Amino acid sequence: MSILEVQGLKKVYTTRFGGNRVEALRNVNFSVEEGEYVAIMGESGSGKTTLLNILAAIDRPTAGSVKIDGKEISSIPESHMAEFRRDNLGFVFQEFNLLDTFTLEDNIFLPLVLAGKSYGEMNGRLSPIARQLGITQLLKKYPYEVSGGQKQRAAVARALITDPRLVLADEPTGALDSRATDELLRLFSQINAAGQTILMVTHSVKAASHAGRVLFIKDGEVFHQIYRGDADDEALYQKITATLTMLQSGGDAQ
Amino acid sequence: MRLGFYAKLAVNGIRKNARLYVPYLLTCAGMVMMFYIVSYLQDTPVLAGIKGGEEMQAMLSMGSGVMGVFGAIFLLYTNSFLIRRRKREFGLYNMLGMGKGNIARVLFWEALLVLAGTMVIGLAVGVAVSKLAELLLVNIMHGNVTFTFTVSPRAMLLTAAVFCVIHVLLLIKALLQIRTASAVNLLRSESAGEKPPRANWVLAILGLILLAVAYYLAVTIKQPLSAMVMFFVAVILVILATYLLFIAGSVAICRMLQKNRRYYYKARHFVSVSSMAYRMKRNGAGLASICILSIMVLVTVSSTTGLYFGSEDSLRSRYPRDITLIAKAEDVSMLSDEKRDAARELVDAYVAEHDATAHNFRDFRVVSVTGAMKDGAITTDPQEAGRHITDSTIYQVNFLPLPDYNRICGTNETLADDEALISLKRGDYGWDSISVDSKVAYRTRKAPVVFQESGMAAVDVVDTIYVVVKDLQGLQPLLQGDNLFSQQWEYGFDSSLSDEEQSQIAFDMHEAVAEQLHQMGMYAVYFESMAANRYDFYGTYGGFFFLGILLSIVFLFAAVLIIYYKQISEGYEDQKRFEIMQKVGMTRKNIRKSINSQLLTVFFLPLVGAGIHLAFAFPMIRRMLILFNLTNTRLLVETTGFTFLAFALIYTLVYRKTSNAYYAIVSGEGERREA
Repeated sequence: MSILEVQGLKKVYTTRFGGNRVEALRNVNFSVEEGEYVAIMGESGSGKTTLLNILAAIDRPTAGSVKIDGKEISSIPESHMAEFRRDNLGFVFQEFNLLDTFTLEDNIFLPLVLAGKSYGEMNGRLSPIARQLGITQLLKKYPYEVSGGQKQRAAVARALITDPRLVLADEPTGALDSRATDELLRLFSQINAAGQTILMVTHSVKAASHAGRVLFIKDGEVFHQIYRGDADDEALYQKITATLTMLQSGGDAQ
Repeated sequence: MRLGFYAKLAVNGIRKNARLYVPYLLTCAGMVMMFYIVSYLQDTPVLAGIKGGEEMQAMLSMGSGVMGVFGAIFLLYTNSFLIRRRKREFGLYNMLGMGKGNIARVLFWEALLVLAGTMVIGLAVGVAVSKLAELLLVNIMHGNVTFTFTVSPRAMLLTAAVFCVIHVLLLIKALLQIRTASAVNLLRSESAGEKPPRANWVLAILGLILLAVAYYLAVTIKQPLSAMVMFFVAVILVILATYLLFIAGSVAICRMLQKNRRYYYKARHFVSVSSMAYRMKRNGAGLASICILSIMVLVTVSSTTGLYFGSEDSLRSRYPRDITLIAKAEDVSMLSDEKRDAARELVDAYVAEHDATAHNFRDFRVVSVTGAMKDGAITTDPQEAGRHITDSTIYQVNFLPLPDYNRICGTNETLADDEALISLKRGDYGWDSISVDSKVAYRTRKAPVVFQESGMAAVDVVDTIYVVVKDLQGLQPLLQGDNLFSQQWEYGFDSSLSDEEQSQIAFDMHEAVAEQLHQMGMYAVYFESMAANRYDFYGTYGGFFFLGILLSIVFLFAAVLIIYYKQISEGYEDQKRFEIMQKVGMTRKNIRKSINSQLLTVFFLPLVGAGIHLAFAFPMIRRMLILFNLTNTRLLVETTGFTFLAFALIYTLVYRKTSNAYYAIVSGEGERREA
């Protein structure tokens, strides 16, 4: 069974006074299998963020269905949504979204504290993750005291500590310099290799070239997808670039 | 049209930031209005025409000074808040190629518009309301109401001048802030990384100690006069302690809670405690200010209303009878029954002649002295007494002859030559003898009825002890040679005449009988009429009351505005956090609950603080008001309690209103996303 199944997803925005209707997603269909590392690519305005918000259950679709682990998320009542999100999804954001009032450690603990776990258990879960992400020494520091790359690693740790079914990453390298980007992408590959399913939204070719499969979104639809197959990162990078070029000229042709 | 361009930018700036500017503009206009009213009342002929009006106007001129200074400080504070919020906008202008000079022009136009707008509105409302204030004031002072409407040009000019100066100061301050900041700084100024609050235990503990000392002073000071002096010491200590505790103490407590893992890592406490530490670090000073303003309002209103509504009581305790004759005697022998009767006949004759229908007489002779008392021994020599000042208590000692005591108190006591009754207003005497300068001594017992203090004794700054002796002549050994004793006869009665007639007859009587009394060996003869003094009482106490209300309205303005701006700025800061928390798995409901509890704590902390301060200040206020003849403790408890309740109610309403603004901001982000 797929971890994530998206069918006929549609999202229409109406401006406040009902004048303009904007179709952000027209008809999106795809699925993600357990252990996959999927990148979704598209230009700004192609509907990537809308898609991710719907997957994260922050936004509701106009039509279509999203199933996580076979469970239709629109059937989950609002009151259980936060809990569901906490237990099944891990988030990594472009802007890190760490709370500046907490140390990195407390930021990472946040979802577990909300889930009512004891300090001992939280600590037990944290140490292997912190070691893997290389932030053990930074745990007592506050977000403003560490670099962007370090903040993002802490955010990854926060996403992983609940042992989620699916990690959703929204442009995770968007605010990082190239060294930190490389470092983060290496970590993502490592985490994925250890069995974690990852869905990443990005418009960075480099980031996408680390994934196992790349979906292309254009005008609110999944336009194309390529599998890594046996290709290495470099070869996948070439393929993605070629696809994007094709997409662009194809777009012109339309 | 370049001028028009800047003016337009300024107008836009104000309009776009309406949420910030409207309360500020209202406050500016409100301050203008209050200032005009107070200045106007100083000028109005209506007030000058009624009795006690001059005292009132002197007090008002003091009030307008206080109001001007307070207004300046307060507007500077709120304005800096506005500028901080708008730095980002100015940073953007700067990035887009607008020089600092151009920004200064925008600021100048803004200042001009704000000044002109609030001045016109404030003065217009001020003029309209001034008559109402005048009517209220005349009523408070029991004067005659007139319905002529006047405008005071002097007050208008003064108001305009004062507020022009204030706004120039505001502009200068804003310009200095913009000048010293770079474009990037301006853009970032709102989101500069904030260091985590560190607990400063030294300051927190210092705050606790200061508060303990202040409270101790407030509760232990027994004498009204020292209360007056210590009150200021206590006030300063309390202000310092409040700031220290709100700034350092609160963070220290949060930190302490965070150290306790069992407590801290609970969904209910986790977010609240850590955000509270930040909130308190940022808002400690503001909250302390709110607390201080609140206690100022509370003390002012409760004491002035107490004074005002206790006027009649105070008047009675100061003037136990409608008309009282007080005369000093050169020698104690002149206070003998025969001489006293002769003097009394004189007065009675005059009263009868003028149909004053005197009744309810109160006639007593007294020999009094002030001295230091230790273990039942009184020293009247000032130098000697000064040496024992630390371990003795200063008393006014009044010796009464037994017949006078028996008559006034309706008792039938008898005394031996070496016996005395001791009457104290409160407390026990504690010794079984009393001696004065080692010259006279009595065995003492408690008087069966407490002698009702009269006139000056009621307002004396030191406590009075009444010693009832068989015969004043027995005091002769004390009265030889130079001494500080005074012998006095007090003769009072109520009269059924009207107030005007009473004050008139008291005056006339003095003319008529003083000379004869002098010849009988009395001096410093004077007649007191309660009626004549009633207007002065109401003029003064009504003045306090009125000013108290005006000032507390202004303080309340200030507190409300600070609360409002706190809410708004919290809102902007929490907006982002709110979103993040939602994304990492907190429900809207949880977030709202957590934020709610934080807001409640933050905003009711000052109120609770003010309440506790008020409770401890109460004994001291009570003692101080004794100096103003207010001895009715129950009344004071009532007005204080009522004031606190009313204040708490207003405070809660403000909190409700402003937290709506807060939630509008916090959830505004969500709305935009849905749009």
